[in-house]
Amino acid sequence: MAALSNTTTTRLGEVIETSTVGFTAESDQLHILPELGALVRVGGLTDQISYYGIVAFGATGGLDTSRTAVRRGGHDLMDEAIYERHPELELVLRTMFSVAVVGYQDGIVPRHVLPALPAPLHYTVHACDAAETITFCNTPRYLSTLLNYRGDVPAEQLVASHLRWVDVQLADSHAWLSDATRRLARLMKRDYDRLVTILQAIEPH
Amino acid sequence: MTLDLTRVVGQISSMVATIDPAVQSRRYNALDDAWRSLDSVDVNIRLRAPAKTSFLLARVEGEYRERFPLPALPTSYTIAATDGSMILPDRHSPARFYLMNIGKVFLRYGDQPTARFSAEPDLRFEERDLFVTSGSRRVPVNETILGLRRAAAELRAGAELLADLDTPGLVLLDGTLILWSLEANDRGIATEILREFTDALDTFQRAGLPIASYVSSPGSSDLMNTLRVSVCDYPAMGRPVNCDDCFGRIVDEGHTPACDILPTVPDRLLLERIANLQPGERTVVYESQSRILELYGPDHHIGFFYVNTGQEIGRIEIPAWVAREPRMLDLIHSVVYDQCQLGRGYPVALQEAHEMAVLSMTDRRLVEAAIERQLAEHGAVRMRTGKDASKRGRFV
Repeated sequence: MAALSNTTTTRLGEVIETSTVGFTAESDQLHILPELGALVRVGGLTDQISYYGIVAFGATGGLDTSRTAVRRGGHDLMDEAIYERHPELELVLRTMFSVAVVGYQDGIVPRHVLPALPAPLHYTVHACDAAETITFCNTPRYLSTLLNYRGDVPAEQLVASHLRWVDVQLADSHAWLSDATRRLARLMKRDYDRLVTILQAIEPH
Repeated sequence: MTLDLTRVVGQISSMVATIDPAVQSRRYNALDDAWRSLDSVDVNIRLRAPAKTSFLLARVEGEYRERFPLPALPTSYTIAATDGSMILPDRHSPARFYLMNIGKVFLRYGDQPTARFSAEPDLRFEERDLFVTSGSRRVPVNETILGLRRAAAELRAGAELLADLDTPGLVLLDGTLILWSLEANDRGIATEILREFTDALDTFQRAGLPIASYVSSPGSSDLMNTLRVSVCDYPAMGRPVNCDDCFGRIVDEGHTPACDILPTVPDRLLLERIANLQPGERTVVYESQSRILELYGPDHHIGFFYVNTGQEIGRIEIPAWVAREPRMLDLIHSVVYDQCQLGRGYPVALQEAHEMAVLSMTDRRLVEAAIERQLAEHGAVRMRTGKDASKRGRFV
């Protein structure tokens, strides 16, 4: 079983909204957030339990939602230079990401069902390394949950992003990816068009 | 009750019909003439005692129409801005207190751009906080007095923010530095309250740290009033300017003051339309004639100038010791202009200080709830007044 890493170097952000089906986190640093489709982990109220989810959305905007961003530059002030010219931006903007919860670890094996309780508010969201990823994703029974996740990103895109992400993490000559796409095909045998959308979104090898 | 707009529209038509464009146009032409032909030496002679002018004037020993171009901005500069928000003593509450929330903003530009924001709440409940004493008089604090205390607190917070400065720097406040509302209070009380404020100004002066305040869309007409003196007909009659006498004659004799040829407009309109103050330019520094400034002492006597920020004509107020230093004046001029460019029309440091200070209804309710909870734990049950309860649950 993969060791659960609790060092601060894996910290991505903090849970600021939570529910049974997912949670939203604020990134520690502006513009820095996990990729769409990445596997992330949040600790539970006891050491035994950890919640696993897949990044389903990201956004950067005003810390106070009633303040909208306005153009700050022009042809002589662009990109990074804008942040240097407006140092207050680091303090009035924030980056957030949403995560679809797809399962949990209860100290024994990964469970690919929705957890009984939502991930705790204000707990740290951790990045998952290759070892953790293989442990949780080896047999991806959570794909059906992910296919039914309703967020801003179409589920097909989300699933495709996740499959690509795991494939890159594991670097196992696409062994896992082949297995996952076969599993997906069985799941979606009545929805050929949707399946094709996903398969096409995964880069051809 | 809702407003019956259809009826108001009819009344607006009646009002607009009374405005005679020809008269407006004549008044603007007269204003243009008055500005062009303004003789600064003559005006200052007219203003000398025993002249009696009943309104606030701009005064300067020099040319009233002088203007200054935008100086170069330093490559690095630091600005601190503070703004305060209050929860006032609530007569519906058994706890006697007030809360000040001071928003503090530190912005550094140039080689090491940095931003630091914070908000500091301060709950006051002691006898000496809730009353002001002067000699044998003791008055409870009211909204006016607390506004003045808040101004002093904003000043002190600003000075603290720039304790270790390694670039040119200044502190900017929002609104006026002239504490008009002091005039309504008894002089002893006023001096007592003002002491906090002038003590804070002393700190700035000793540290050589420039302090200024910014007034957006100023409604002041100090300069216009000086123009009125320039067109007064009393000197032609061999008499000193005397507004009280002149206004008295309006009723007694049906007299029309000579300065009636000028329109009633604020200085910002004069400077924008007639004087054509260009973006980046500022006027000369005028002395304010507000009587309350006598209590500030000569060093802190407040002067002001107008600047075209590109978006509007803003008014910047400064103490005399700052006005005397050309380097401080140039710094304030160039920095406030830059801040207005960054803030799309209003100094960005002030915008953020306001955001840090502002207390929402939720914040206020949270404070009340915290007090109620602790009072209850302490054994004091809180009872709201009937009136307050009716406002919280509005029903039909």
